[in-house]
Amino acid sequence: MSKRAFELPVLTQPAPVDHAAAAADFNADVARTDWHDASLWFVRERRDRAAALVPDWEELRVRASAIKEHALTHLDDYLTQFEAHALENGMNVHWARDAEEHNRIVHGILEKAGARRLVKSKSMLTEECGLNKYLGARGIDVVDSDLGERIVQLRGEGPSHIVLPAIHLKRGEVGETFHEHLGTPLGLDDPVALTLAAREHLRGKFLAADATLTGMNFAIAESGGFVVCTNEGNADLGMSLAPIHIASVGIEKVIPRLEDLPVFLRLLARSGTGQAITSYTTHVHGPRDGQELHVILVDNGRTRQLAREEFWGSLKCIRCGACMNTCPVYRRSGGHSYGSTVPGPIGSVLTPGLDLERYASLPFASTLCGSCTAVCPVKIDLDGQLFRWRQHVTERGYSSKAKGAAIKASVVMFDRPRLFRVAGAIARLGLRLMPSAVARIASGAWGRTREAPLPGRESFRSWYRRERSGGKR
Amino acid sequence: MTSSTARDEILRAVRAALPPAVDAPPAEYQPGTPSASDEDLVVRFTHAAVASGALVVASEGDPAVDAMQIAGSAPEVLSLLPGVASTIAMPTNPHALATLDLFLCQAAVGVAENGALWFATPDPIHRAALYLAERVVIVIAADALVADLHEAYRRINVRATSFGTFVAGPSKTADIEQSLVVGAHGPKELTVIISTARG
Repeated sequence: MSKRAFELPVLTQPAPVDHAAAAADFNADVARTDWHDASLWFVRERRDRAAALVPDWEELRVRASAIKEHALTHLDDYLTQFEAHALENGMNVHWARDAEEHNRIVHGILEKAGARRLVKSKSMLTEECGLNKYLGARGIDVVDSDLGERIVQLRGEGPSHIVLPAIHLKRGEVGETFHEHLGTPLGLDDPVALTLAAREHLRGKFLAADATLTGMNFAIAESGGFVVCTNEGNADLGMSLAPIHIASVGIEKVIPRLEDLPVFLRLLARSGTGQAITSYTTHVHGPRDGQELHVILVDNGRTRQLAREEFWGSLKCIRCGACMNTCPVYRRSGGHSYGSTVPGPIGSVLTPGLDLERYASLPFASTLCGSCTAVCPVKIDLDGQLFRWRQHVTERGYSSKAKGAAIKASVVMFDRPRLFRVAGAIARLGLRLMPSAVARIASGAWGRTREAPLPGRESFRSWYRRERSGGKR
Repeated sequence: MTSSTARDEILRAVRAALPPAVDAPPAEYQPGTPSASDEDLVVRFTHAAVASGALVVASEGDPAVDAMQIAGSAPEVLSLLPGVASTIAMPTNPHALATLDLFLCQAAVGVAENGALWFATPDPIHRAALYLAERVVIVIAADALVADLHEAYRRINVRATSFGTFVAGPSKTADIEQSLVVGAHGPKELTVIISTARG
């Protein structure tokens, strides 16, 4: 049996991501798919309960969205303010145009200090930049310290969710991984025992680290500080112990004022996991005595997204993961099927901006039901953006030929009422006469896992005319 | 160090990309948190702290007495509480706290809506102790409780220290099959002592 639940798309491979095909692989294991679906729905329901307890929830969302829109439309001001105040606070500030430059800066800092052991806490940005691979090739021992991230790192996978990195794995699989890498007893699959084994293993890594790297949830322009939220306290252990702290952040994470923080913090954990707040919400306004603190401000495609009139609103994202937990497609296709660092609805509007041809299938990994937009704490119109990306994909000819042909054929039919009526009559009769196995093929992907209902004996049109002529309403 | 080319290029790209300006919302925000008496705040805070996984103790007398009871005979104790003695000498290096059993401290503000406690310090040893200790005890005065996070930020001066954190419950994770496990990396137990004594 393969140890992996399913094969990962290789991120460096330029071949286009085929979300539907990857999702079909995930769906091959029906029990796992149902379990994955239910696990995430459980988190979504926790979010609903937490949100319902906040009387000004909708006002908070409106305000959070307005603050982010204001910040993004004055981003140059706020970035330079943040930089100036961070420098005053004793931080070093670096700027990176792309992933390669970011990785080079990190490596340069480590090399200069002779640091070989780096402990990271969760940073989707460094996943996006491929930092672990870059540093690994240069002899740096990189350890992800978030439990979920450590699990997937040991397995040679990427995270499948931005908040719950190992949500695709069952406890038995984690047990096998820990048996192999941490020497836990074979067959041990109790989450408490496994977590404590990871604690012991990682405590040693924290104490031995030469440097630590964290992300940032918020960078504050007026104070030159930043906030890191975790439940595990892993970022804090890293920051409190290592002599060098590197904090990497996408340029869109800058917010103007300290008083904006409570607006976002009241939304973030409630939206993400249904907690009122994470265990630790840490504010850093300078290095501790004797520590070196480096901030890296990273563009890597963000200014290109900012320039897109239809899509710049996606940069409001605070990475809570609520859109993933609620998305019926994400829940039943798994994060890896998106072939993108950030999966789910938000990933499907961010990642096409990096390479539309390669990620052309992502905007179609949605039913456009709008549930993502309804739960988004910063009111990103996710379904609208997904819909608009579809127009760009089709205009540039990146959508599948078969889909294009089917749409063209239906345009011909809908343009000609007589043809439409004839086609309808044929379909009504044909679907009744066809064996259901054939009918299921005829109904396309939808019919693969569903029994097609029998069509009505007459068309709506003829029913309506008959009813009207009978004088009834 | 900082490449001024990268900085200038990024800022130039940002300026070229800026969408039409959106005004900042007015500074004052009315949170809509229901008003509360002092007693309400204690009740609300207690509910939220318990939900975050903390143990909550009410102390009507000297909180040091309750704290010492919780400490029991823990061998390695670091205390910032008046009336509770440390059993170890203050180390010069935070790594020396790797086997710390108990850390006791006082929070400046407690937040009723989420059970979070504000602890800020410029001292790197105290900071590390909050995460390295097996168990943590935090004392909060009942009159230092506020209704919501907006009010909390009005009471604290975030910029005053290089480090400050809201602590809500012990270290925890649910990364294996959504099963909540306490003590992921940091403290396995957090006890909050709400001190109602009038100073």
